[in-house]
Amino acid sequence: MISRYDGIRENRPYTYNDAGGQSKDFEQNFRKKCLKNADRTFSQGLQCQQINGLNAIMSLDDSVFISHSPQGCTGCSTLGVIQYRIGQAHRGVNIIRNPRLIATNLDQNDIILGGEKKLTEAVLSAEKRYSPKMIFVVTSCASGIIGDDVDAILKELQKKIKAILIPIHCEGFKSKVCASGFDAFFIALSKYILKGKKSETQKGLINLFAPVSISYKDQLEIERMLGRIGLTANYIPFYSNYENILKIPDAEASTAICKVFADEFMKQLETDYGIPYSHTVMPIGIRNTDKWLRGIAALVGKSDEAERIIEEEHKRIQPQIDRIRQRLQGKRVFICGGTGRSFAAAALIDDYGMKLVGLETPTYDKDAQTDIEHLNSIHGDYTVDIANMQPFEQVNLLKKLDPDVFIGVPTWASKLGIPTTHVLDMKRPTMGYDGILYLGNKIADQIENPGFNKKLAAHSKLPYRQSWYEKDAFKFIKETGGGEI
Amino acid sequence: MSIVTESPRGACVLGGINDVLGAVDRFCPIYHSGPGCCMQTTAGEHSNSPFLSAVSLPCTNMLEKDVVFGAEKKLRSTIEGAIEIIEADAYFVLVGCTAGIIGEDVESVVRDYREQGKRVYAIDTPGFQGDGLLGYEVVWDAFLDNIVEKGLPKKKGLINLLGIIPFRDPFWSGNFEELTRILRKLGLEVNTFFTEHQGFENIRTSSQAELNIIVNPYLLKSAAERYEKDFGVPSLRFPQLPVGATDTTEFIRLVAERLDIDKKLTERVIAEEEDYVYSYLSYKGESLGWNRFAVVGDSGTATGITRYLANDASQTPLLVVITEPMYRSEDKQRIIDRISDLEYAHPPRIVFESDYYKIIRQLEKFPDIDMIVGSSNEREYCAENGIFCSVMTFPIYDKTIINRSLIGYRGSLTLTEDLYNFN
Repeated sequence: MISRYDGIRENRPYTYNDAGGQSKDFEQNFRKKCLKNADRTFSQGLQCQQINGLNAIMSLDDSVFISHSPQGCTGCSTLGVIQYRIGQAHRGVNIIRNPRLIATNLDQNDIILGGEKKLTEAVLSAEKRYSPKMIFVVTSCASGIIGDDVDAILKELQKKIKAILIPIHCEGFKSKVCASGFDAFFIALSKYILKGKKSETQKGLINLFAPVSISYKDQLEIERMLGRIGLTANYIPFYSNYENILKIPDAEASTAICKVFADEFMKQLETDYGIPYSHTVMPIGIRNTDKWLRGIAALVGKSDEAERIIEEEHKRIQPQIDRIRQRLQGKRVFICGGTGRSFAAAALIDDYGMKLVGLETPTYDKDAQTDIEHLNSIHGDYTVDIANMQPFEQVNLLKKLDPDVFIGVPTWASKLGIPTTHVLDMKRPTMGYDGILYLGNKIADQIENPGFNKKLAAHSKLPYRQSWYEKDAFKFIKETGGGEI
Repeated sequence: MSIVTESPRGACVLGGINDVLGAVDRFCPIYHSGPGCCMQTTAGEHSNSPFLSAVSLPCTNMLEKDVVFGAEKKLRSTIEGAIEIIEADAYFVLVGCTAGIIGEDVESVVRDYREQGKRVYAIDTPGFQGDGLLGYEVVWDAFLDNIVEKGLPKKKGLINLLGIIPFRDPFWSGNFEELTRILRKLGLEVNTFFTEHQGFENIRTSSQAELNIIVNPYLLKSAAERYEKDFGVPSLRFPQLPVGATDTTEFIRLVAERLDIDKKLTERVIAEEEDYVYSYLSYKGESLGWNRFAVVGDSGTATGITRYLANDASQTPLLVVITEPMYRSEDKQRIIDRISDLEYAHPPRIVFESDYYKIIRQLEKFPDIDMIVGSSNEREYCAENGIFCSVMTFPIYDKTIINRSLIGYRGSLTLTEDLYNFN
């Protein structure tokens, strides 16, 4: 199958990654197609797509992962290694394995002469050492710029290698949006493993696409909910394997736990294999969880069952939610997160009657518009920063907005003394009906006991000049012309 | 010169540079690189700096058009933005593979800012040129080129303590603190450059030191030569981290002799410190039992730990795997000599291997091993084979380390605590 989507997120129409302003203006300007393309003349480090490409695969069984790059591009594999080790521990594995990761370690000679020799050596070693079923090769800025023809090299090697060789094209400089790396992985999966083949459709089997940030507790909760409407999940790609990947085309339907994970791939599965999909929201908070479950139930003709379950679950958790709500009602919130989590967190705070004052999210597009429209109807006008992290803008906004609580990575807000909490927890529950309660209690407890942050703020300082806090947080965002891409 | 490596330890040159810049107070790296290098280097070296790290690092985030057309304008606006908002004492432009391969002239850009009186420097060694260890060398060269001042008067009793790479040594802060504590008892003033908010001024005036003390078998060879030739600061190399009473006492005597420190004072310090250690070992030391052990790690740490366990703790060394890629044969020999020079124990087998798979094959050759002191990477092999694993070398994934030390007198007690096990 040749993919029709090129795997570069910002090439999709009406997608914006650098913008700041008020939510009402965003809503109107997007509707009128008046949002302008922009860029930051000063920015802080982004996450590259190679990081996501590599981390998407690192818990697959029977696989070796090759980073065709200098050694540095395996840096973030440490995150994958840690997650994989934790994931195994949570799944009751006694002998916790390391992922098999090989760096071709391109150096100055290879930059001049090409990296073919080292890539060949890495692939041969991978096969000899571990006899894997799959050998993934992720590309890098260096391999891309020097023009190594990874596809051709692997095609030639495939003649003598038993494992399936799978190149993942995720050169960092090709995309500003790290989620492109997920797409690169799925494009490769389609092209090199699935290849349009399909056995019989298995009734009740659902492809459940989930990123590495999903804890085992969340996986269990999602599978519990699917189980209640008689569905079994094919959980891809984490802690999965070759056999489960081959089962993807046999599923009755597909869904994802994260909005920017496998969305394009699910479209392709529909085109290639006629598998319907549900692309709704991240199942965090009541409204989102309901919406997510209804989406998948409708695809398999289980809408009535879903409604019954939703009613039951609501009845079960509502008294507890009401109690937590009394602790959180009216608290002013600033949220920062990835595309899926930021909007999911925003949905969650509605359950607890909290008020949104600021939202930082990496991309504004059609999906974001849907969420913003809904949030605007509840919270009115609030500040929106379209940024992948950019902590310098975040702290500037936090100082001005002075929220009661910050939801997101706590590193910087904590030094301002603001109570912090997070809906991203790779070890604990966040999703589904049980996740709502867990998060509610967590947020309430963390807001009520901000001692650590208060004392930290009294003893430490962020690296920014005092004058920065008095300036416009968005002063470095400059229009590059043209409302459309 | 890099080789294909399974589970390589640490990041690229930029990682090592960033380790150092991240540990000096108020130094601001500026990455002229693709998106991702800031996170990759921070995660690869575990270098979460208290000042700027990962997604806080200023970066040009070079994209395809920048690779095709160059990104000098973007670099300038990023430097200017960094100066405008970040309250740093100095700014350093680092060069990623993207900027390095297309040959961006960062030196001429930073020169413009320096002419305006701003402390903006370039470290023009792209990521692909080597690993983090090279980065540690390169960043000291940059300091010597740009910051360390010539012609300052010597300061009696001031020393530069070098050879411990921040973050890359997971125990770096505690290790610096323990050695500083001991050296201060000898009346010395210590530049660590990385602890107690030391910063630009310590680097600038490091030429006033009487001596560089390098606690590593091979790092900073060229910096040591330059310190001596250009700044009149000689170096004393102690070819390992001193761990435990025996080696720390040897370390103190060498330093004292070199700096002409009063003999009586030196011996009093040694007596006090050894008494402190043995007051504990006298009733807690037995918990160690007897282990046949292997050590897997960087040369400085592995040598120190092996010698402590063999000489001071009467454990039996079977194998030492040195995990850095080593290029100079005299460095290898220095390490082999030092590890083999044990008081009572038979010398272990010593191999130089940085590839994970090959390291495991080396361990398999010694089925009698009861205990491995290594990195988190070695846990899998230990779990499979019922071997006690104590994780003390980089990379460490499974504990948080704040300021504990495994070296010197006091650190060796912490190390000993960590060896209690069920085996």
